[in-house]
Amino acid sequence: MWKSVIYKEWLKTRWFLIIYAAIGVLAVGRIFLKVQHDFTFNEATNFWYVILFQGYQYFGILKFLPALGGLIIAVSQFFPETVNKRIKLTFHLPIVENKVMIIMMLFGACCLLLTFGVVSLFFYGLSIIYFPHEIIHGALVTMTPWFLAGLAIYFLAALIILEPVWKFRFLYALVAVAFIPSVFFDDTITGGYSPANPVLFVLVIIMSTALLFSGYRFRKGEM
Amino acid sequence: MVRLSRYFLVIIAIIAFSVVIPKFYWMAFEKPVRSPFVMYSCVENDFMIQKSTQDGLVRTDTRGNNYTREQYEEKLPLMYMRQLMISGTMPDTINGVFMDAREINDERSTFRLRTRDLFTPDPGLYPMFESQSGRANLEMPDDYFRITWRMEFVDANTNKILEEKSRMFSAVLYNRGFDFPAKSINGIPTTRKSIDEGYLVIDSEDQLFHVKMIKGKPFVEKVEIPEGLKFKHISCVDFRNKRYYAYLFSEENDLYILTQDDYVLKKLPVDGLIPEEQEIKIYADYFHYNIISDGEGYMRSQILDADFNPVDEYSETWPVKMERTEGKIYKFLFPGELSLSNSNSNYNAFFLNLNKSINWLVLSLILIVIQFFIIKRRNEKFKNQIVDFTAILFTGIFGFLAVNIFPNKFFK
Repeated sequence: MWKSVIYKEWLKTRWFLIIYAAIGVLAVGRIFLKVQHDFTFNEATNFWYVILFQGYQYFGILKFLPALGGLIIAVSQFFPETVNKRIKLTFHLPIVENKVMIIMMLFGACCLLLTFGVVSLFFYGLSIIYFPHEIIHGALVTMTPWFLAGLAIYFLAALIILEPVWKFRFLYALVAVAFIPSVFFDDTITGGYSPANPVLFVLVIIMSTALLFSGYRFRKGEM
Repeated sequence: MVRLSRYFLVIIAIIAFSVVIPKFYWMAFEKPVRSPFVMYSCVENDFMIQKSTQDGLVRTDTRGNNYTREQYEEKLPLMYMRQLMISGTMPDTINGVFMDAREINDERSTFRLRTRDLFTPDPGLYPMFESQSGRANLEMPDDYFRITWRMEFVDANTNKILEEKSRMFSAVLYNRGFDFPAKSINGIPTTRKSIDEGYLVIDSEDQLFHVKMIKGKPFVEKVEIPEGLKFKHISCVDFRNKRYYAYLFSEENDLYILTQDDYVLKKLPVDGLIPEEQEIKIYADYFHYNIISDGEGYMRSQILDADFNPVDEYSETWPVKMERTEGKIYKFLFPGELSLSNSNSNYNAFFLNLNKSINWLVLSLILIVIQFFIIKRRNEKFKNQIVDFTAILFTGIFGFLAVNIFPNKFFK
């Protein structure tokens, strides 16, 4: 049965996922197109210098890409479930209700992780051609909260979409708007997030259960 | 599991509100607190204090005399030399010394160390400039070095290690007794300086080395330092008089200078400098060194003469943010605040700033009473809401908002 649930999730999200992954790969391609252009026009040593000592982030265009991914996957996966309250059909399947929710959530999170993994690997693979590990390490530390924000937005967007009562949707959105920018996108310099990243990681893990809450409220017919 | 998911959401909401709400509060009500600008007058042998008050800028000395802008500038002739020359009021001699503009300029220097300069990610790679290229301007090299298990130069064009250069520098460092890896590499990694003096490097055994490149070859000098002395921060300087390479702060919060060419480490007779808590400023001129430590709510200025003998000192305190009206109200509203950034650090971490008073408990108790009525209206049992009440008690307004945005309706 759970295979069918996963297949249903795949049917809902596949095109969004493929297009999003393509955008991610293109964005990384764009970064290194510019890097090789700047190496040619400004000399490699000057490019390294502005990264090391003047805070230039050559990977800056990736900043909101994971956030966009989280939002796209959450909407593609859970918005169709709210149309005519279709998710109630899922709850009539012979699987424990919470388990269905967890499978759905795991599916979305794994898809996101997979695309983030592809984008990061592609980024890393091209980075080691041009940069030493100090620069790559700084870049990855800086990008970690952006990717974690993508997952956090996915979990919170799923929570908001599945919430049956508009008033609470608005309040959850308020929490999300307060939480995401101030925690994941605070003013920083390259490598500055290194002490915060482990805590952000834990927070994202505990947020992964968020969907169960609105799923429960949906089942209990909160209006 | 579902109940647990709610508590997790409540935690997320408490974190979000404890970051955002106090931030908005300070944005709306915080007023600037400017520390006084204190300089030492070589004419009066007294401190000149400039403060911004409600009536605008006020300039005084320690005896209570008030000065106009022009009078103030005349009391600090070495600092405002250009202005005094334009006005024609620059004295020919001060304290019996003939005032030569070039000499005044050469002896004048400004140094500033902010706390955030201590807590900042290390770039890990540095450019090694050619110190004696014979060119008027410094040129950016094509490679950068790191000091890990050896000293390695990485070519930026190819991203490959330059083996020969790396071996040459590593061997000289090793022969001079350097213990790899480096703990800190301190220099001025820019071409915008008068000359290059390379880097002051601390090795893993807290020994101090001066490393630079002269005509493509390594120059390494081990600096003799007293037994047990450890430096936590070194700021290299590029002053015109070339008297010393750097200001060095020891683990014991002593301030040293390292003299140029003869490598004498000299401890300055100042105390109470804590770079982790204060902004340190050092203004030097022909006659004096003015070493200022600016902390939260206080400043201290210690004056040394040109031979580093103590001359005078001045200190001042003022009410900090929490002692002012907006701070007093804050103490009644919030149990504390969380912030991802801090003006004293370039790192982002979860900085928790707890309210030192217990005034906020009043609001917590009021909110508990309100929550009591909310629950009563919902016809729910109080014993099922104990966690929520506890959350409100300890996190006040943040917890109250969080438990009501994610209501506990599992027991209906």
